[in-house]
Amino acid sequence: MSAVTPRTGTMTRRPRWLTVVGVLGVVAMGFTVWLGLWVTPPDEFQGNLARLLYIHPAIATVALYWVGLVAAGGSLLYLWPRTRSLFWDRLAAASVEVGAVFAALTLITGALWGRPVWGVWWTWDARLTSTALLLLLEIGYLALRRVPAEPAIRARRCAVAALLIAIDIPIVHFSVDWWNTLHQGGTFIDPGFQIHASPSMSWTFLLGFIAFSLLFVWLLGVRYQVEVLQDAVGDQELEVSLSERWSEDTELVGAAASAPAPSTGGGAP
Amino acid sequence: MSYVDAGYSIALATLFVYAVTLVLRRRRWERALHMSEPGVEPEGAPAHGDPS
Amino acid sequence: MWHDAVLVAGKDLRIEARARVALWQVVPFAVLVLVLLAFAIGPDQASLRHAAPGIFWVALLFSTVLAIQRSVAVESGEGTRDGLRLSGIDPAGIFLGKAAAVGLQLLVLQVVLWAGITFLFDVRVHVVWLALTASLLATVGLACAGVLYGALSAGLRVRDTLLPLLVLPVLAPVLLAGSKAWQAALDGNAASGTQWLKILVPFAVIYFVVGIVLYGPLQEAA
Repeated sequence: MSAVTPRTGTMTRRPRWLTVVGVLGVVAMGFTVWLGLWVTPPDEFQGNLARLLYIHPAIATVALYWVGLVAAGGSLLYLWPRTRSLFWDRLAAASVEVGAVFAALTLITGALWGRPVWGVWWTWDARLTSTALLLLLEIGYLALRRVPAEPAIRARRCAVAALLIAIDIPIVHFSVDWWNTLHQGGTFIDPGFQIHASPSMSWTFLLGFIAFSLLFVWLLGVRYQVEVLQDAVGDQELEVSLSERWSEDTELVGAAASAPAPSTGGGAP
Repeated sequence: MSYVDAGYSIALATLFVYAVTLVLRRRRWERALHMSEPGVEPEGAPAHGDPS
Repeated sequence: MWHDAVLVAGKDLRIEARARVALWQVVPFAVLVLVLLAFAIGPDQASLRHAAPGIFWVALLFSTVLAIQRSVAVESGEGTRDGLRLSGIDPAGIFLGKAAAVGLQLLVLQVVLWAGITFLFDVRVHVVWLALTASLLATVGLACAGVLYGALSAGLRVRDTLLPLLVLPVLAPVLLAGSKAWQAALDGNAASGTQWLKILVPFAVIYFVVGIVLYGPLQEAA
């Protein structure tokens, strides 16, 4: 079902490719879950816990790399005069919101994996800690975006904020990494993956990546549409109230012109 | 419930709920856009019931 | 007075529900303080576990300052404060209403902070009633003292830097007693914790009463 309005034209259309991506994502996700939870064997080191590795690294990749690419890339393209377009700003903003959801999921799935393995919900390792700070920074960006402003000003402000976040996260990662290794005296506890991968596991792993990436693209697309619609409604309301003011003024002028002038009476022009 | 089940459920449920909220938001803003158009609002249109 | 308090509390909470500043700014800030203090203390799990109660209360105190500033800022528009004064609402009612609204936000904040320290520092509350009682008493004290000092700094242009300076030393006893009480609650040692409630109770009562009495005159002076 498509809703096309004369003024905004394509804005509320449902692009076919987006729906296709969404459907593919759901299908891939379904297969990932089926393979991940039932078909694949338990790992010889981690047992069933390894099944979380079909989703956790995929979610983390989306949260850190895909989101980083779109948010930072979009912000750069907006700030660059040659490619400046609100499209990039809105895309970047959409990716930050979706990214925050994925970052939170990264932390949750990471904690659920870490708890039985390390006995604690949280280790202050570089990857988890950087993701936690990324989430906080993204919340800050979203708060900044909600401050009412003209689209161009808001876009520039948010683009700079996004770039600063993109620069900051690697710095944080490096610092926390160092902080940990110095404390641990060189042996760095890396909640990494020691897993003997059988073929079915590798395929499931890959499928998980594909599934979450497709879902990210779909979520990004819909969130972008919401962003466009919000701005369009804002513009529309502004135009309506402006045209109302216009018609008020013209009515007043018309009324004044047709009223008899008291002092000049029937005087000749 | 095992940690694995919890992880899968939370991840899938969260993404599903978020997807639903996005679709609902899109619908709400589409309706808002449609409502705020000049043709729809009576104030924007000049007198159209004028017999003369 | 109570009726007015409910009115004002409702107004403040409704504004918050629409703007969601506390939710999207103060709560993340509190979590941020947890993370930063963890960075300061170091990755040693044992030190973090030991410092957890203190970290909880410091984060809460800093966030309280933000919540107070927000509570004052809600009425910082042109003439809003005068309007409120002229509306005939009992100033003590305004005080109680604002304190109640802030207190509610602080309670939500504490739930989040509790989840935060449990998750990040690997601690568990063993004596739940002690932790809850300490938190509730502290919340009353923090909210009342905070709103009072907020009114003190309300009209001033240096409000943002002055308020923390004024109110944090006043809130220090809450930090002290609260940390000790929570430490006992985390360690499972109820006996050593209950004595600290003897600081939190008078603090809450005093600022509750002083607020009711002094808020009106403060408003006149501002």
